Amino acid sequence: MSTPILSLQHVHKSFGPAHIIRDANLDVLPGERHAVIGPNGAGKSTLFHLCSGQFAPTEGKILLNGKNIAGLKPAEVNRRGLARSFQITNIFPGVTVFENLRLAVMRKHNLQFVFWRSAARLRLVNEEVDDLLTKIRLTERAQTLASQLSYSEQRSLEIGMTLASDPQVILLDEPMAGMSHEETDYTAGLIREITEGRTLLIVEHDMSVVFSLAHRISVLVYGEIIATGTPEEIRGNARVKEAYLGEEAA
Amino acid sequence: MKYAPLLLLVTVAVLIALPWLVSGSMLNAAVQMLISALFAMAFGLLCGQAGMLSFGHAAYFGVGAFAAVHAMNAFGGEGLLPTPLLPLVGGASGLVSGLLAGYFSTKRTGVYFAMITLALAELLHALAPHLKTVFGGEAGVSSFRMPAWGIGFGSLNDVYFLTLVWTLVSIGLLYLFSKTPLGRLALGLRENAHRLRFLGYNTHALGTLIFAISAMFAGIAGALQSMNIEAANYVVLESHISTAVVLNSFIGGVRVFLGPAIGGAVMTFFGHVSSDLTRVWLLYQGIIFVLVMMFLPRGIVGELVERIRNPSGEGLARTISTLLARLASLAIAAFGAVFLIEFLQRVLSPEYRAGVTEGNWPDIALFSYDWAPLSVLPWAFGLGLFGFGIALVIMVNRRVAARKEAQA
Repeated sequence: MSTPILSLQHVHKSFGPAHIIRDANLDVLPGERHAVIGPNGAGKSTLFHLCSGQFAPTEGKILLNGKNIAGLKPAEVNRRGLARSFQITNIFPGVTVFENLRLAVMRKHNLQFVFWRSAARLRLVNEEVDDLLTKIRLTERAQTLASQLSYSEQRSLEIGMTLASDPQVILLDEPMAGMSHEETDYTAGLIREITEGRTLLIVEHDMSVVFSLAHRISVLVYGEIIATGTPEEIRGNARVKEAYLGEEAA
Repeated sequence: MKYAPLLLLVTVAVLIALPWLVSGSMLNAAVQMLISALFAMAFGLLCGQAGMLSFGHAAYFGVGAFAAVHAMNAFGGEGLLPTPLLPLVGGASGLVSGLLAGYFSTKRTGVYFAMITLALAELLHALAPHLKTVFGGEAGVSSFRMPAWGIGFGSLNDVYFLTLVWTLVSIGLLYLFSKTPLGRLALGLRENAHRLRFLGYNTHALGTLIFAISAMFAGIAGALQSMNIEAANYVVLESHISTAVVLNSFIGGVRVFLGPAIGGAVMTFFGHVSSDLTRVWLLYQGIIFVLVMMFLPRGIVGELVERIRNPSGEGLARTISTLLARLASLAIAAFGAVFLIEFLQRVLSPEYRAGVTEGNWPDIALFSYDWAPLSVLPWAFGLGLFGFGIALVIMVNRRVAARKEAQA
């Protein structure tokens, strides 16, 4: 077994008296598509917030490439190669699709406090934006305001922005939430394409997506990872059935 | 927007020819208009592009004004800082104070940000009268523009051109800034600072820097102001200066690039003209602001740009005739309203009340007629015109709506 690229070790998170994450242990291997499933309120989003720097864990270690990132700020976590999307669409609504992606790409090229160069003439940046537009299939919509995109287009844009920093690890928080069947298939294909050569950690409620997309699945119940394994192993796991999948998967 | 460069060229040409086109008093007003245009543009960078509503921009305007006056006195317009370069001092002092104030205020956003900027500006305003060596107390600090580079700087023309060059160069720099990576990030800050953080940006540092650059241009505007009047007094730190720049920018349109400049220039011109004509010009200014915010929330320029980008589909001739019909109806309503306000103001003024004896109310002269205040005539005249104008506006609007429905 290769060394995990992202590893949660005995992670706890409490909000006052509420103990949301209780001793979570999770290893994500390089190059795999790893899904986290669990009933509502299990702490899936909290787990993502901990990994991406939104919250600091109360206890425990989060290792990214062997280095502890627990408690780092979101911007620092991003700089170390972990990028995330959000459950609620989180884009720059009042500017164009192109601008959304350019803002995302510029950081990778260390363009933050630069006021002596024209953004339109940043050849590398603009090429990468065009590449991303092709990848997320929004080239035609480049000059549209992000707020005027359809819902699934906005989700695609969100994924594109997550991809912009060329991260090793991508966290997608319910990318298919609120989508029709067609949109879900479309987005699943997109995710398969863009995560080629990267590591994906995904939270998703649509079980057909999870079982067809993920190499391995972890089940989170009441803040605890109760099982990790291949889709077949998870289907056959008695504890999982009892806690979550129930009759539906049996 | 094909004609934008041409329009710009014509505007600049007119501005250059202005001293030979208008009277001295108008040219003086033009200097004020340029200064408030630049000040509004500095504010527009912070509020329109980066989405941070500052209620204390008078502080940086004032700091620039005082820095320039002190530099004028210290260098006598020679040596390292000849007169034409004095606005640099205003800009530098604005930048430094902006870095300091921006560091604290951009730690918060929205209402809290606005409150911090307001508090910092009020702090400076309260402190200023006590720091006599810096702010000169009640009398302020005065100075003289000295000749430099073979220019006298004594005449109004010289001052006008100095202000014009600095304003145009500054607005040009602000335009270029909006095209740089940092300028684009200002938009990101406005649209979604949370997302910027997760993209790896340091939003606090970005906010501080953009705040400081805005304060720098406000400082240049302040310096031009004190060079124009050859003095600075702590009244430039008063909150109404901060409020005026907010109102002017929103009237022009804070989200479009030249919106704040046009708003600043137009409202300063309006103030210049109307303050000679009426005592209640501030009331009119307030009414204009409320009306613009209610009916043209994008501001005058913002609405114009929107109309050009998304034409109504009725053709140019129809659009213009509708516009003219609306303007004419509004002019009638405005005349009625102005008549009522002016008449009421005269009736209520202490001078007039002193002249009223034992139920004898003398006639009031307004628009070259004498009106009896107790008669129904003047009131009916004003109200009637106002109502007639509004009725016309409603009629025009109904026709436009009917045409749209017929098309659909």
